[in-house]
Amino acid sequence: MNGIAIKTAPGHGAPGAGSRGDGRPRRRSALAFVMIFLGIALFIQAAIVVQARPQDLVTGAAGIADILHRSWPPDFAGLPDALWPALQTIDMGIFGTVVALVFALPLALLAARNTTPARPVYYATRVLIALARVVPDLVWALIFVTAVGLGPFPGALAIVVHSLGMMGRLFSEVIEDMDMGPVEALTMTGASRLAVFSHAVVPSVLPSLLGITLYRLDENIRSSLILGFVGAGGIGFQLLTAMNLFQYRTVSMLLIITFIIVMGAERISAWLRARIA
Amino acid sequence: MSAPLIAVSGLAMRYPTGRVALTDTSLALAPGELVVILGANGCGKSTMLRCIAGMLKPTGGSVQVAGRRISSLAGRELAEARMALGMVFQNAHLVRRRSVVANVISGTLGRHRGLAITLGRLPESERPFAMTCLNQVGLTAFAEQRAGTLSGGQAQRVSVARALAQRPLALLADEPVASLDPDAAQELMGLLRRLAHDDGLGVLCVLHQPELARRFADRILGMKDGRIQFDTKPAEVKETEVAGLYVKTTETLAA
Ligand SMILES: Nc1ncnc2c1ncn2[C@@H]1O[C@H](COP(=O)(O)OP(=O)(O)OP(=O)(O)O)[C@@H](O)[C@H]1O
Ligand SMILES: [Mg+2]
Repeated sequence: MNGIAIKTAPGHGAPGAGSRGDGRPRRRSALAFVMIFLGIALFIQAAIVVQARPQDLVTGAAGIADILHRSWPPDFAGLPDALWPALQTIDMGIFGTVVALVFALPLALLAARNTTPARPVYYATRVLIALARVVPDLVWALIFVTAVGLGPFPGALAIVVHSLGMMGRLFSEVIEDMDMGPVEALTMTGASRLAVFSHAVVPSVLPSLLGITLYRLDENIRSSLILGFVGAGGIGFQLLTAMNLFQYRTVSMLLIITFIIVMGAERISAWLRARIA
Repeated sequence: MSAPLIAVSGLAMRYPTGRVALTDTSLALAPGELVVILGANGCGKSTMLRCIAGMLKPTGGSVQVAGRRISSLAGRELAEARMALGMVFQNAHLVRRRSVVANVISGTLGRHRGLAITLGRLPESERPFAMTCLNQVGLTAFAEQRAGTLSGGQAQRVSVARALAQRPLALLADEPVASLDPDAAQELMGLLRRLAHDDGLGVLCVLHQPELARRFADRILGMKDGRIQFDTKPAEVKETEVAGLYVKTTETLAA
């Protein structure tokens, strides 16, 4: 059934696309018609593929109410046991961000068109950064859990690799947008290439890079929560365990902690970013 | 005339795009001399300065700076040969987030190759010297201010101070007064002349203001279509010669 729906979408589109060539004055409106038609067809096939059944929400409402009822009140007896995993989650984010920062900076210099020493280096680092970024951190975590075993360290490694990709890309964009005037001026003083980087490039871009890093820290703490679900420790792992044991009052307590961590990271990161701007 | 600081002979530059920006250009700059280059947009003035500074490799001819053939150097040797040349650009090109004096100190980086300094520490031992350079441009009061907060004229003078901190033998200035008001422009040209006459620097300066050139230059070079048209004392330059530089030929119209 799904297969048929997918096939019908382009099938319906084809006659519309054909009418584009003739009838020049009506070309724009015909094109618009085809685009709208294709858009609707695209959405319908998406709804079929995800098996969207709104009626399930209605019948499921009772189930949701039941779960909410069973999660209330939050069970704070388990709070002391949750503090250590909570710290793990935060520290996975911090560790991952700091290590990624250390590697992202030189990598970005190689991957920015205006600072790269040679074309091949530029392409090689671009590919490396893209690879680190395109593979989701969850997948990196699965890989590292397999490689180094369960616990927070594989999660931290996953965050390092994924944010290295994100930060490497954003950093190199900042560097490419930088004013090259000071670089040229310092090159003319006879300073070495590295000295020009550290005295002209770094002071110019550092605030932007710190801003990106702080934003990334916030994102990383959030994603380290989720990484727990695949066995990378932290509060996410606690949450998964409690869910599997149907301890919904523990789940709601953990969700409150999660909420506090995420909101706290977001506020602190925003506050720090405002300070350095 | 004493031995030239900068000797350019038969310089030619053809960009990878195929545009020929310089054809067979020769000139000499002596210590203590302020030479002004005049010429229409696109006639190759910046290209010539960039070739002299070793920022562009010319496709023909040679550039000698203090006896060293800069046009055939690379890497560390080029960096060392450049230390003889202070460059002042149309824009000040300061590191905006650093203080004025830090920008001036960074002009001395060619002389300091220690690890900490290469990694971003300023050579603090140069601070007093940087202050004397700032004093030359009359901006000691602004030493601790952020460079980004200066006016255009002040920033331009700081960039001159940075070039001086390099202890150059010659200054190359590409339209240094382009963003300055008339008073500030006069002041900067006066400063360049003082550096040439009192301190013995060779100064090569591109201008778009023939009046300033007549007033301050020891010698005026007229450039057109990548060639030197004339090379004479300001008093001997005829009005028609200057006007002729700015008459569009078919070649420049196409450009
Ligand atoms: N990087 C480049 N690649 C290709 N052509 C260039 C490049 N830089 C300059 N040119 C060309 O070379 C010619 C000379 O340019 P140049 O910048 O030297 O002129 P200029 O005399 O400094 O002009 P202006 O008074 O506008 O500064 C121009 O036709 C320009 O288009
Ligand atoms: Mg120019």
